[in-house]
Amino acid sequence: MKRFALTLSFALLAASSASAQKVSLTYLHGFTGPDRPVMEGLVKKFNDSHPNIEVKAQAQPWGTTWQQLPALVASGRAPDLVVINEDQITGFVARGAVSPLSDAELKTAGIDKAKFFGPLFKTADYKGKSYGVPISSVAYAMFYNKDLMKKVGLDPNKPPRTRAEFLKAAQLCTVDKNGKNSTQAGFDPKNLDTWGVSLYNNWVGARAAYAAILQNGGSMVNGAQNASFNSPQAVSAVQFLVDLVQKQRVARANSTEEAELAAFSQGKVCMFPSGQWYLDRFETQKMNFGVTFMPRVGGTARDAAWGGSSHLTLPKQPTNYSAAKRKAALEFMAWLAQPEQNLAWTATGSLPTQSAVAKNPKFEKAAISGIFDRLGSVYATSGFPWVGQVMGPFDAAWEAAYLGKKTVTQALNDGVAESNKQIDQARKNFN
Amino acid sequence: MTTTHAPPGQHTAPHKRSRISLEPYLYLLPHAVLFFVFTVYPIGYGLYISMHRWDLLNSNQQFVGFEFFRNLFTAGTPQFEFFWRTLLNTTFFTVVSVPLLVASALGLAVLLHRPIFGRSFFRAVFFMPGILTVSVMGILWRWMFDNQIGLVNAARDLLTGAAPIPWLSTEGLAWVPIVVGTIWWTLGFNMTLYLAALSNVSVSLYEAASLDGASPWQQFRFITWPMLTPITLFVVITTALASFQLFGQSLTITNGGPSRSTQSVIQYITEEGFTNSQISSAAAMGFVFGLMMLILTGAQFRMMARDVTSSSEGK
Repeated sequence: MKRFALTLSFALLAASSASAQKVSLTYLHGFTGPDRPVMEGLVKKFNDSHPNIEVKAQAQPWGTTWQQLPALVASGRAPDLVVINEDQITGFVARGAVSPLSDAELKTAGIDKAKFFGPLFKTADYKGKSYGVPISSVAYAMFYNKDLMKKVGLDPNKPPRTRAEFLKAAQLCTVDKNGKNSTQAGFDPKNLDTWGVSLYNNWVGARAAYAAILQNGGSMVNGAQNASFNSPQAVSAVQFLVDLVQKQRVARANSTEEAELAAFSQGKVCMFPSGQWYLDRFETQKMNFGVTFMPRVGGTARDAAWGGSSHLTLPKQPTNYSAAKRKAALEFMAWLAQPEQNLAWTATGSLPTQSAVAKNPKFEKAAISGIFDRLGSVYATSGFPWVGQVMGPFDAAWEAAYLGKKTVTQALNDGVAESNKQIDQARKNFN
Repeated sequence: MTTTHAPPGQHTAPHKRSRISLEPYLYLLPHAVLFFVFTVYPIGYGLYISMHRWDLLNSNQQFVGFEFFRNLFTAGTPQFEFFWRTLLNTTFFTVVSVPLLVASALGLAVLLHRPIFGRSFFRAVFFMPGILTVSVMGILWRWMFDNQIGLVNAARDLLTGAAPIPWLSTEGLAWVPIVVGTIWWTLGFNMTLYLAALSNVSVSLYEAASLDGASPWQQFRFITWPMLTPITLFVVITTALASFQLFGQSLTITNGGPSRSTQSVIQYITEEGFTNSQISSAAAMGFVFGLMMLILTGAQFRMMARDVTSSSEGK
């Protein structure tokens, strides 16, 4: 009896101390669509397997978070964990809204940077420090119509990788109503039955130019973080794309994303570079299509394509912030970034964040695995705190060049001039 | 306090007067509180933001005076270039769409005021687009006028075999889907106002006119149109103000393109504030634009007051 009482009191003691240690974390993210239940499932799984930590997740539209985060951090009421996207992260880091993750902290939590795709992890780096861990990722990819490629004599299982292969495929795919392709005499470019590649005027269309510039060794900004997308490498890369319309005539002029999407769905165009988010649509449609990484159309310096990503970060907290909370937040961060959780997350249409997940046999038959060999070459628009000031004028420059309203040189020069004026103003915010 | 020396229950004149002076303010209080919290305070805070390099993440908000206002009047700054260009775009849209919106609403109202067959059906049909959200309406008209696969180009191809017109990416033509879409979308509201006004015009006026041998056009010109003057002024003012607020239609149909030629001033202010994160500069532009709208409204109200008096005197 005495012994029983003793055990009971120990048990009570243990229980009370456990509940005293239980750390509660607030977690703010913007996965408000069909990805929301997946994220909620992951959080529940974490809470069930970690009795000492309780993560309370809250979903709200990304834009709301971008507007609220400064006020929350300034008043010391920031959530313990926040997900920030690739186009916003450097801005928030540069303004001091996010706290750096030290190497010691990452090591203790068991987060190994080297396991992730390099450029993806570096998206949340700034001035040599890491500020977030990637948990979700999308990329610009190239869809291709296997039936159409076979019809014009191309191997549907060997999509183009180089500029020469790409151009040849585009030329063979461009066939007029009399059955003549663009390399044959008497070809009538005004009456196309099918054509090689989809180029279009909006920001998604501009990501083809972005890939080409990076492939040719160019970049959006230079070392001083000023716009530099009018470098000789950039001009030459974009010129190749514009020539596809104006000289090679393997892409339609004056086209829109909707029109090209419809044309690809109807089997009118061989290659449709765009966001991987269209995958679901083509799968539902039961098209015979493949997905490949953006071929090296711009140059031979490296493989490159645009990507978007979401990074789990720890916002800046007041000086009396509890160390236990930070430790628990890092634990959740490490757990969510693990291969098992990342694999579960790919059900939302996200790409793997690390090669361990990409190797999973689940993807062997999936069309999207066509880009998995080059996921380490996906580059987000980050690393400079004025993404809006650079990408706005860049998208406008692409539009003007593609529509033939300006020469490529003129369009890119005008874009850089506008961008740098805006950057000069934005820079004053960081002094 | 002055009431205390009056014996209770005795309703003397001064007692009453002091009660009257307090009561109206009590009734005004609930609205006044909301007005101060949601209108006066935000305006004051906005003015503060526009005169500082405002960023909550900075420990101090640097005072810059009128720097962001000056940018709007200094040649060479992006704000000077884009604010006035987008303001001109918005003005162009207003000048084109207001007469069309008023005329088509009046025309439809006159047609649907007469006892024709299926009148209420047609009234409902013309009113219905107004219940759609701007994004639905925008996507619809973007598709209709698509450069390649739009219904408009398809119809042209079918009827004349002409090559497709790149509506959405040609300067000038890009306004067509925006203006046509806006008319289709908002026509019904003005039409309803006109229908209500028409039913207030006495039938005896028309009877007298037709006895004197007035043609239908003369009846419209000398009876309907003058009788509708007050409502026309109201419709013009509200439609002009709504047109200056152009945002969603051009955002969804052309996204301001090509080369900002259809970008509205509100869209540019939004871009400056939330894409470029220049909140203070956007606030300054908001004040300048708001002031212009205030002057415009004031002028229109004065005109309305004058015209309504003169037209009723003329009767």
